[in-house]
Amino acid sequence: MKRVDTADIITGALISATGIFFATYSVTQYDIGTIYRMGPGMFPLGIGLVLTGLGVLITVPAFFRSGTLPQVDTRSLVMVLLGIAAFALLVGPLGLAPAIFASTILSSYAERKVKPLTLAVLCVSLACLAYLVFLVGLGLPLFMFKWPF
Amino acid sequence: MDLVSSISIGLETALSVNNLAYCFLGVFLGTLIGVIPGIGSLAAISMLFPLTFHLEPTTALIMLAGIWYGSSYGGNTASILLNIPGTTSSAVTCLDGYPMTRQGRGGVALLMTTVASFIGGTIGIVILMIFSPTIAEYALNFGSSEYFALMLLGLVAASTITSGAPAKGLAMVVLGLAFGVVGTDIYSGVPRFTFGSLDLMDGLSLVALAMGLFGVTEVIASIGKVDLTTIDRKSVSLKAMTPTKDDIKRSGMPILRGTGFGAFFGTLPGTGPSIAAFMAYAIEKQVAKDPSRFGKGAIEGICAPEAANNAADQTAFIPTLTLGIPGSATMAIMLGALMIHGINPGPGLMTEHPDLFWGLVMSFWIGNLLLVLLNVPMIGLWVRLLLVPYHLLFPAVLMFICIGTYTVHNNVADVWMVAFFGALGYLMRYLSLPAAPLLLGFVLGPLMEEHFRRAMLLSRGDFMTFVDRPISSAVMFLTATLLLWTVWSTLRIKSASRRTRVHQ
Repeated sequence: MKRVDTADIITGALISATGIFFATYSVTQYDIGTIYRMGPGMFPLGIGLVLTGLGVLITVPAFFRSGTLPQVDTRSLVMVLLGIAAFALLVGPLGLAPAIFASTILSSYAERKVKPLTLAVLCVSLACLAYLVFLVGLGLPLFMFKWPF
Repeated sequence: MDLVSSISIGLETALSVNNLAYCFLGVFLGTLIGVIPGIGSLAAISMLFPLTFHLEPTTALIMLAGIWYGSSYGGNTASILLNIPGTTSSAVTCLDGYPMTRQGRGGVALLMTTVASFIGGTIGIVILMIFSPTIAEYALNFGSSEYFALMLLGLVAASTITSGAPAKGLAMVVLGLAFGVVGTDIYSGVPRFTFGSLDLMDGLSLVALAMGLFGVTEVIASIGKVDLTTIDRKSVSLKAMTPTKDDIKRSGMPILRGTGFGAFFGTLPGTGPSIAAFMAYAIEKQVAKDPSRFGKGAIEGICAPEAANNAADQTAFIPTLTLGIPGSATMAIMLGALMIHGINPGPGLMTEHPDLFWGLVMSFWIGNLLLVLLNVPMIGLWVRLLLVPYHLLFPAVLMFICIGTYTVHNNVADVWMVAFFGALGYLMRYLSLPAAPLLLGFVLGPLMEEHFRRAMLLSRGDFMTFVDRPISSAVMFLTATLLLWTVWSTLRIKSASRRTRVHQ
């Protein structure tokens, strides 16, 4: 237990920061216009201001109560995101199958339970499943393999 | 058009071989995904949503509705057998469903929730059929002020009622509105918040947002947490599913009461199924002769919330289809699906696309029926799926998320957006910020801005336009009351907790 609710202080601060960014960006980049004829900046400016205010409303009371800071599961978070990134990078130049292999291998490292053989079987069966569902079943114009050179 | 001819148009559409097949496929796939522990109906719908893009609008919606029933049913299976709720409303079902499983009565619980869902859903559909035409006709007179006021009420209600901390819910709605701004401004053609990226000119992708916030986040949070302890397979055999006479006698009234609550709360913006389910549970506990049975496997405790939940799901379609204003995150996705198919939900929908509207309504019923027929004999299969280790399941889930998003526009940028929203969703979960209001704000944002700007143009910048018109002023008054009530109740809870601390 902490003496103040750190999580909520961070939350509110992040929300306020987003709001301030949104409002200033709208004012500096876009035409605000008048209430009668609103420019493209008016609505986002309003949103930014309200967001900033709500952030303050979350932060201030958090200083007057105690709270706990939960644990972050960094490993799962990073490996899953890396898996998605690998898919995004590979699906264009190399095709679907390499993208699936890469994302499956990377993301399964989020949990230490998978043995290499199981992983290989999993990769191949997922690629087959994707082939059956998306290419055969839905008839989408996708390539399983592509040669980039 | 009278109700009978409408129904026949609907049945004709829904019963065509093609639509029936996709309805079945939707229910099946929905259940399949929904059963995966931790994946609730919202995550399941956003995952399977891209599959429907390549179909014609009516068929796509019918399949989507099927996916939705299937997934909420599948989610219940995981809740009851493993005590892992996928959605807030199935959290209520856990309260008494899991104890029933531990007593070896899991099969009965599964069967009775199916029956309760079916009855609740059916009554909900009848209410939907009766009230939608009237409301749509009435809504034809609505102008931009009314629409803006209604959307504001919906957003405020969704963020203040359902979430524990109203300020956080509101902040997430506003953040959703902010994400909705990204893209080309329809009035001036100026690209906003695109930071020079061509991929952002059309705005952020709803599919990517929903998949990231609900799918990816759910996967990250469930890894290493889902413990598939022994499920007693015997408790879900067909024989063990037969309810006793006592079970049936006890369930009748709770199902009807639950349906009543659900049907009422479903139509209100922002309240939706979870509130209805909680209320129904609380009421059953109040009226029960022996309230101490609740939480220890009381059958009333699963029937009433399930009926409420499903009735609310159906009546929630009333504002979504007739006004174009979704009351919940699920409805927001449905609305998004309609808009992607080029259909604008609103009072004109029924007259312009009667086959779509009534076909969809009738398919709800057929979908519910299919669900019963499909799931009662197949519970054994779903349970076996629950036994597949999670470390083999989640890469498959991720793969479907990636391919699904990618194929919407054949654009890799959408996959990057999924990663972004996955990270954001995890951060939000870490800071206990609710994700559903964000989605609702995102879908409603562009509509709200459009109506607000039009209302201001028409009134020459006079804010009184929201108060001068009777309907819009009534709605604005409701919204203000709701906000004041929220502030008051927050303050009251705080001072009450301070007082108890002093007493201790």
